[in-house]
Amino acid sequence: MNFEKEGYDLVTGFFFALTFVGLTLIVCPQIVVLVTSFNSTPELAFPPKGLSLNWYRHMMEREAFLHGMKLSLLLATLATVASLVIAFLFSLAVVRYKFFGKDLINALILSPLIIPEVVSGLALLYIFNRLQLYNTTVNLLILHVLLTLPYSVRVISATLYRFDVSLEEAALSLGADRLRTFALITVPLIRPGLISAGVFSFVVSFNNFTATMFIVTRQTTLPVEVFSYIRTENDPTVAAISSVFVILTILLILVNKKRIGARRFVGR
Amino acid sequence: MRQKFPYALILPGVALLAFFFSAMWALFVISFCKADDLGFISYAFTFSQYQKFFTDPFYLAYLTRSLHVSFLSTLAVLVIGYPAAYLMVRSTSTIRVFIMVILLVHFLSSYVMRMYGIMLFIGNNGIINRFFEYSGLLESPIKMMYSELGVGIGLATGSLAFMVFSVSSVLEGIDWKVEEAALSLGATRKRVFFEIILPLSLPGVASGFIISLLYNLSSFVTPTLLGGGSFDMVSNFIYEQAIELLNYPFASSGAFVLLFISLFIVFLTNKVSEHMIKGVPK
Repeated sequence: MNFEKEGYDLVTGFFFALTFVGLTLIVCPQIVVLVTSFNSTPELAFPPKGLSLNWYRHMMEREAFLHGMKLSLLLATLATVASLVIAFLFSLAVVRYKFFGKDLINALILSPLIIPEVVSGLALLYIFNRLQLYNTTVNLLILHVLLTLPYSVRVISATLYRFDVSLEEAALSLGADRLRTFALITVPLIRPGLISAGVFSFVVSFNNFTATMFIVTRQTTLPVEVFSYIRTENDPTVAAISSVFVILTILLILVNKKRIGARRFVGR
Repeated sequence: MRQKFPYALILPGVALLAFFFSAMWALFVISFCKADDLGFISYAFTFSQYQKFFTDPFYLAYLTRSLHVSFLSTLAVLVIGYPAAYLMVRSTSTIRVFIMVILLVHFLSSYVMRMYGIMLFIGNNGIINRFFEYSGLLESPIKMMYSELGVGIGLATGSLAFMVFSVSSVLEGIDWKVEEAALSLGATRKRVFFEIILPLSLPGVASGFIISLLYNLSSFVTPTLLGGGSFDMVSNFIYEQAIELLNYPFASSGAFVLLFISLFIVFLTNKVSEHMIKGVPK
């Protein structure tokens, strides 16, 4: 709709006002964070008393953040790969075959979206302790794959539903074997789905805090490290970290605007 | 194409689910057990944990606070998020991309860091209070942090993107010719919106409402950072009991109360929205 052409009315005017409130609530804190990160004094004063890059340096020098970052990156990478593989196989079964209990299993695999993170975190913590599984990385990986699967399954099955099976059949009838058909026909055709599922799984895993907090031990992830820093220290180091990530995210989105397609994840 | 079903395809997923749901079951079982002061669990079938949670006003308050603030903030998110989704779907490309990019950045960034931003924004030294101080509109700062208001603002900001994306995905599927038709038949824009577009978009509203409400209800980060101990929610209760006091049975009773309320909200919202959608002529 072109508002300029058709003129404004009360409803759209009201809508613009409300949207403005919402966007203000999102954008303003981020601007405050960005400005605060250049503050020269440790107190969280706004506007800043002087400019410096102290907090960026502090962020790089603090070992705990580096270790947290390493674990977060490792986890997010492993969880994304595992989630994509499991979700692809699962979606293939759901989309192309009929089997007993299909609807139930499909609902269960999506259920981490509804089960509160404190609950799933606590349940896994309890079972890991009971079974005496104390490898933090593996435990976190299990949790993160569970949490990312709903997103991957949703996106990949949606892609597979639109997939024209006759293309695969054509390749097979022309003499390609199953593996070749899979590599040269199936994967390229579902690649957009795999990419957006991958991006989201990575982000969900990398940012996950609440459930992760139950499972971490001495080894922590970046969000957990940031959280405890906010609670114990009172200087703008977190503002620096946050600014770096927001700028990276903006760049990532501007580069891949077409490919990500966030709406696929939250709608029906 | 009728083939033998290749069970290997679902095996990894099902194995993971089996592990997860046995963990959930184990947790459910111990919510009916007792723990002594050292955290040792004695297996006895008792409702005493649930009874303690619901009868002691101190514990029940965690739940009532959570429900109250999450309902209010979700309603705020609906009121703000619906228009944003509408404008995102119907605007010219500039406004559309603008709203979209802001929401995406927000959606992709870490929840903990977003709440940190809100802390700097609404704190006693935050920019809002500075603004009032400089402009002389208010003498003392408005106390937003460490209260329900602050937690509510945090929750609303945290779940706004879910609402916008849910509503916009449904709005995008609407055949907008119905709007033209209604307008050409003489309906006012207001009437078209309230009698046609809004009812058609109810499924998106329902799913956005469910996602946001559940997300807010079980929030841990927001009450901890913005409530600062004076507005603890159910998740804080669960964390304290399990991690700090090692009382797993009591923690898990809180967890299952939260889970059943969440499931009930999903059920109820779906029923209500189905009922409302039935009333809409096709």
